[in-house]
Amino acid sequence: MKKTCEAIVHTVADAAVIELTGEVDGAAAGVLTAAYEDAVTGGTAHTVVLDFARVDYINSTGIALIVSVLAQARSQRRKVVASGLSEHYREIFDITRLSDFIEVFGDLDTALADAGSLREG
Amino acid sequence: MTSVAHPAGRQLASFAVASEPGNERIALARVAEAVAGSDLPPARLERLKTAVAEATMNAIEHGNRSQPDIPVDVEVTQDGADIIVAITDLGGEHAPAGPAENPDLELKLAGEQRARGWGLFLIRNMVDAMQISTDGPRHTIQLTMRTGAGAPVADLPGGGHEEDL
Repeated sequence: MKKTCEAIVHTVADAAVIELTGEVDGAAAGVLTAAYEDAVTGGTAHTVVLDFARVDYINSTGIALIVSVLAQARSQRRKVVASGLSEHYREIFDITRLSDFIEVFGDLDTALADAGSLREG
Repeated sequence: MTSVAHPAGRQLASFAVASEPGNERIALARVAEAVAGSDLPPARLERLKTAVAEATMNAIEHGNRSQPDIPVDVEVTQDGADIIVAITDLGGEHAPAGPAENPDLELKLAGEQRARGWGLFLIRNMVDAMQISTDGPRHTIQLTMRTGAGAPVADLPGGGHEEDL
């Protein structure tokens, strides 16, 4: 059964976190776009963390959505990082070269710790 | 476009899905079930599942134009060490998933290439071989994945590490 994509947005220090669940495919466009807007509107987030720990499917259209979020963030001089990707989707991030532009962390805590150390540095 | 020979070997599954968005998930689940007894390492199974999903999505959207009454046929066979998945739509000769050019992330980020267009690229990078053929209205993409001893060394458990060389 299809698991609709959902997103929870919250802020930790100056990082905006988008915790995704379900399937990141074409049907996730509205959810992901709204979540990104929610994450950055009115805030001072320099880093946007996309957490995929509860995502079990990403297809080529989902990859395109992530590219769109990355393009928007870069145009706003924001950094995008990812956490919680399975080994398979890490490989896809490598193949597509998304990992050249989106630093990938094993889990959300590690991603946030890195964002914090960058801020302090 | 050249014709692809019908795969010989033992049939593991043969089924059809309606051309409705999302049904690629049904196809990948049924293919995964069909090859469960094969000697396919987990990482390579994940790759095959992604390739099957992308090829089925392409067949639904670009081949059968998302018309639910037109099925996408999926046949899974094993020929020696090869798992072969043939996915057929009735769209005749049409562009496979994605544009002809390779996706270039930097161009996409610069807005000089559309964000979509990853389908064929993903399929090609996920499986050991891919062939496309048309026979009248039947358009088939055939995916081949080697199992066990036939799989590339780097993809086998523990493969690709210096201590194994």
